[in-house]
Amino acid sequence: MDLDLLLGVGRFVLATTLLLLLTVPTAFIIIYLELKVIALMQLRIGPNRVGPYGVFQSAIHGFKVLAKEDFTPDNADRPIFTMAPWMVFMAAAMSMLVIPFAPGLVALDSEISVIYFFAIIGLSVVGLLVAGWASYNKYSLLGGLRSAAQMVSYEIPLTLSIVGVVILTGTLSFTEIIAWQHAHGWAILWQWIGLPVFFIASTAEINRTPFDMVEADSEIVAGFATEYSGMRFGFFFFAEYVSLFIMSAILVTLFFGGWLAPWPFPAQLSGFGGMIYGLFWFLLKTYFFVFVSIWARATLPRVRVDQLMGMAWKVLLPLALVNLFVTAIVVLVFGL
Amino acid sequence: MTATDPDVRIPDPIELDELEEERLRAAAGLGPRRVAGDGAGPAARPEYAGFDQVGLPDRPPQTEREQRLFTLNEGEMLLNMGPQHPSTHGVMRLLVKVRGEVITDLDVVLGYLHRGIEKLCENATYTTVLTYVDPMDYMSAMHNEHAPAIAFEKLYGIEVPRRAEYIRALVVELNRVFSHGLMMGFLALDMGGLTPILYGFINRDETVELLAAISGQRMLFNFFRVGGVNWDVNDEFINRLSRWRSNVEKTIGDNELLLTQNEIFTGRTKGLGVLTARDAISLGVSGPNLRASGVPFDVRKAHPYSIYDELEFDVITQPQGDSYARYMQRVAEIKQSIHLIDQIVDKMPHGPVQAQVPGIIRPRPGRAYAAIESPRGLYSVYAISDGGPNPYRFRMRDPSYITLQVMPKLMPGHLIADTMAVMASLDPIMGGVDK
Repeated sequence: MDLDLLLGVGRFVLATTLLLLLTVPTAFIIIYLELKVIALMQLRIGPNRVGPYGVFQSAIHGFKVLAKEDFTPDNADRPIFTMAPWMVFMAAAMSMLVIPFAPGLVALDSEISVIYFFAIIGLSVVGLLVAGWASYNKYSLLGGLRSAAQMVSYEIPLTLSIVGVVILTGTLSFTEIIAWQHAHGWAILWQWIGLPVFFIASTAEINRTPFDMVEADSEIVAGFATEYSGMRFGFFFFAEYVSLFIMSAILVTLFFGGWLAPWPFPAQLSGFGGMIYGLFWFLLKTYFFVFVSIWARATLPRVRVDQLMGMAWKVLLPLALVNLFVTAIVVLVFGL
Repeated sequence: MTATDPDVRIPDPIELDELEEERLRAAAGLGPRRVAGDGAGPAARPEYAGFDQVGLPDRPPQTEREQRLFTLNEGEMLLNMGPQHPSTHGVMRLLVKVRGEVITDLDVVLGYLHRGIEKLCENATYTTVLTYVDPMDYMSAMHNEHAPAIAFEKLYGIEVPRRAEYIRALVVELNRVFSHGLMMGFLALDMGGLTPILYGFINRDETVELLAAISGQRMLFNFFRVGGVNWDVNDEFINRLSRWRSNVEKTIGDNELLLTQNEIFTGRTKGLGVLTARDAISLGVSGPNLRASGVPFDVRKAHPYSIYDELEFDVITQPQGDSYARYMQRVAEIKQSIHLIDQIVDKMPHGPVQAQVPGIIRPRPGRAYAAIESPRGLYSVYAISDGGPNPYRFRMRDPSYITLQVMPKLMPGHLIADTMAVMASLDPIMGGVDK
């Protein structure tokens, strides 16, 4: 009993540490991708000085952020100002616990991992809000309040859009959702209304273009991050890219079969080989949706605050509800 | 009394300012200055503690307008946008009064880029004036040189050679193309679109390289001379011009693909910042902004100068008067300018490019006025000569400056995010506003 508990705690600490370490290369890869992909779309060359093809550019960005002065405004609320980036970053990092990377490669294989995920990722709004409030800056305040309004609004269609998948699969565990998809085919075959709702709402939830109202640089300078510098800004920056990875990962897990290959061959790899094979497909699909998000950033202008809120309540919420009821009726009648 | 006498305090300069301020406040019939937390004004309300102190200027209001702007009602705050702000087009400062995100009042504060160019020009000879006006409206340096050149030619009574007039028209139309092309990019950038500005700069780079081939400079061309232009067209210019002509419609078209039909872009610009024709005329707006409000006024057509009466073109207008109409107006004018360039190249006569002009020009005493159509509107110069080598008075009307005064009229009721979408659609250039 005691040994089990000890082993459990040890496993948890190990998994958490590994995931915290994983956030660094994840953020570096996505930052590099963003720099390079947007550059190519804009007919520029992009980073090409640091390392081959500039692959170490984002690492240099990270060191630059570390080396910068960590500045606190005179009138800022110091404890909260210091804690806010930590809250945002930890919300992103802790939600990685339940992401199923590959068969057997999931830190916390809980029966309610879906609920855990949406509970934890929703915490980041608190960090953004207090960051905006504690900075003692009007732009920060506007950004913080925008983040509160936007993220609370988009939580609702975001959460409702996955209830369809949950009804379909009859489970709240990510690994079992994947197992269901292994047996019945990817959930996108049934959830083609749920997917766009989830994709748009998750883009808004993590403040990506075209919904980056919270740090709209041409309107409110940098929003909640206006007064942040040094590594505290770095944490916000990291959290943003880690969230992008997480949301893409969850989208892949819920709708595109997670670690499953697009074809059922080789049918059942097991052990270490199966883990690598699953990880490959999982990362490939996840980075494809990261790429889609970067693509949107290069293409689209930003929507306005009122249009953003209107979209959440007038378009996405009804769509998510329709999806929910239709899925429920189909499941009830045909008993999938 | 000595300075060390403990009983006599010599007020330091800051303290003197405060005394002076109290006197001014008393003279204006205002109470003592509000300090956060002293129980007077909005600072007494705890939910705004500190914030009014950040927004209000530390001097008494000097005009009725200022007093109205600085009086905060329930739930309002002042927001300073600029002069350091990512999208104020240089160093414009907008003083915005907001209730939540909704703008209730707005004022434009100018003067952060004032360089005294008019005075510099009054101390320069007529030839060197044309170098000083370049950095005014730095997006349309060719137009800046065109107006004073015409004014000085009127003053001195010089006939400009025909070929010089054609080259002038060619370079100013080229300049108009890249200025409008960049405006498309700036408008998108101010709404969060990153790519159109870079496509705009591709077009601009090709055009300034083309203009550099004829003038020797990329940005501040210094190409016009009193009585003609500096250089005749050369082979490199002609080669680049044909290459530019085959590319320009594609580079502009790329931007149009990203913006014109874009759902988010149209949703944010249609019906936004509607400037009615009556308001536009009464506020002195000119150029594409005026034509986008449906008023068919184009200096090139209304008061033809240079060779514009020999070219075929129509005055383009848009009926709506909103931000989207101003954008579409620019797109249409780019195409019109390309059409004009084709005509100019076809009709270009042979001959000299510079009239016989003495080294130092001394016009007879008199006055001259010249107006041209710059990418931002009616740009005009009024010069007075007293017979000396320098202009006695040199006055420039820059359209950006006039255009900016519609901002307080357009913005109240819109959101903070719309400030930039409206301002970028008016396309002001601060170098020209502050001169």
